[in-house]
Amino acid sequence: MIGELLLEASGIRLTERSRPFGFQLGTGEIVGLAGLEGHGQTHFLEALAGIKGPFAGTIESLRDGRRQPVRGAHRAYAQGIVYLPQDRKTEGIFPSLSVLDNFRILTIGRDSRFGFLSWRRGQRAFAKHRERLGIVLASPASPITSLSGGNQQKVLLARLLESEPRVMLLNDPTRGVDHPTRLALFALFEELAQEAGLSVVVLSTEIDELVSHCHRAVVFREGAPSAQLDRASLTLDGVLAAMFGIAQTPTS
Amino acid sequence: MRWRSWGRRMGAGVIGILLISLLLLNLWLNPARFAPSGILTTMGLAAPLLLAALATTPAILSGGGGIDISIGPMIGLLNVAMVQYLFLNGIESPLVVAPAVLLAAALLGMVNGLLVVWVRLPPIVATLGTYLVFVGLSPWVMNRPGGSVPEWLTRLGHDLSWLLLVLVAVLWMVLVRTPLYAYLMATGGSAKAAFASGVDVARVRLVAYTLGGLFAGAAALALTALIGSGDPNIGPPITLKAIAAVALGGVSLAGGRGGLIGAAAGAMIIYLLDLALTRTGFSTFVLQMIYGIVLVAAVVFNSVVARRRW
Repeated sequence: MIGELLLEASGIRLTERSRPFGFQLGTGEIVGLAGLEGHGQTHFLEALAGIKGPFAGTIESLRDGRRQPVRGAHRAYAQGIVYLPQDRKTEGIFPSLSVLDNFRILTIGRDSRFGFLSWRRGQRAFAKHRERLGIVLASPASPITSLSGGNQQKVLLARLLESEPRVMLLNDPTRGVDHPTRLALFALFEELAQEAGLSVVVLSTEIDELVSHCHRAVVFREGAPSAQLDRASLTLDGVLAAMFGIAQTPTS
Repeated sequence: MRWRSWGRRMGAGVIGILLISLLLLNLWLNPARFAPSGILTTMGLAAPLLLAALATTPAILSGGGGIDISIGPMIGLLNVAMVQYLFLNGIESPLVVAPAVLLAAALLGMVNGLLVVWVRLPPIVATLGTYLVFVGLSPWVMNRPGGSVPEWLTRLGHDLSWLLLVLVAVLWMVLVRTPLYAYLMATGGSAKAAFASGVDVARVRLVAYTLGGLFAGAAALALTALIGSGDPNIGPPITLKAIAAVALGGVSLAGGRGGLIGAAAGAMIIYLLDLALTRTGFSTFVLQMIYGIVLVAAVVFNSVVARRRW
């Protein structure tokens, strides 16, 4: 771990039968989560986001030396911990709302003036992300469902970024996103990590992606981490071995 | 996008055509009611249903099977409570009566909201429970129709009948410009997504039920102004009419789609239908059947229009 401690999970048991483990996240880190489907990595990410509690253990966020438990998505957001769900259609977008309303749902409280929404202010904020993420759309007023999947995903990322988070928890963020955009997204995360101290925990089914962009990775097997790989040991083979529970002789 | 706005426009168009044709029919059947001299009284006659429909809307918009079927009996209970506890005790100042009624109404709405978000009852069960409680309480407060109302309230049913409607309209116009409305529509559109993006879904729903209660308070004032007394049996039939009106006004019973303008238009249609049919001599039993048919037809029509998006 580098930087100062932001998020700490201790004594976590995801289910009644799984082994307890701990996890620490520092500022400016980009951490990958991997594992075969159903081995607990999704549950763990949701637990960090306050969406679904673990069977046992505590998750706390730290701000200016003060510890606060992360319980409930609503409170997690207030602590600067934001979450991108895997299932964009059912948990990510609001299909009945416009692109702009989808974008600003996290920040309307902050950006309202005297308790009133400002369309112009929202639009200005959106324009910034639209350019940076290359979002293709007719107008911010058009329904979110009129956008392609990849562009919807970018709007959701813009929604999170606009809230100026301290920790971004991303559940398979590059699904349905084309390769150049993937590179651009990770370059952006790296930039924000370096400059603003943003921390990212990213769960991906694309192991190459984790290997090439993350500072370290945690591989889950049977409800608990089976390997913690730092930058030096983070290789495709290493991740795969840990995913399938194959003992690996340490290289070097 | 095009399909959607087409669907919306078509929905609004059908409502508009229905409203205008019913208005013309009523003009032909009974011109005196819509003459300039009688229009305010006609508005006073329509106001209780209109406000009841508005009161039913926020809970439905909040989604998750949200509905408040206790609105009718709630209005009835507020009616008898206002006459029995305030007017018969000589408390008549509008500055006391109006806030007291609205506050009590908001609290009753909040009870529904707490049952839904805190006790986590399905809204239909929670509000059926309070429906029955309000129905039972009303004759206990006042066992037979009677009492009288102060002069200012009578005026609310006649020359000042626009006042409550304007107040509710202004309140709504303010609300749609606040974050609360965005949270309400987001929660109604997709509670899962709202939860995952940190919207306090429980609080939004609680506010929706409370707001519905507040509007029901306005409806109770309008109803009491109209009948000029307390009547323990007047509330329950309002629920079905109000829900039919809301559905007719294009508010999706699944939540997240529609608004107060649609609900108000739906209420006007029900009222005009009621007026025309009563004028031509249909019995109240036939009217009940027609409300039922309108409710089913409106829900079917809404879902057809919604599906045309794809």
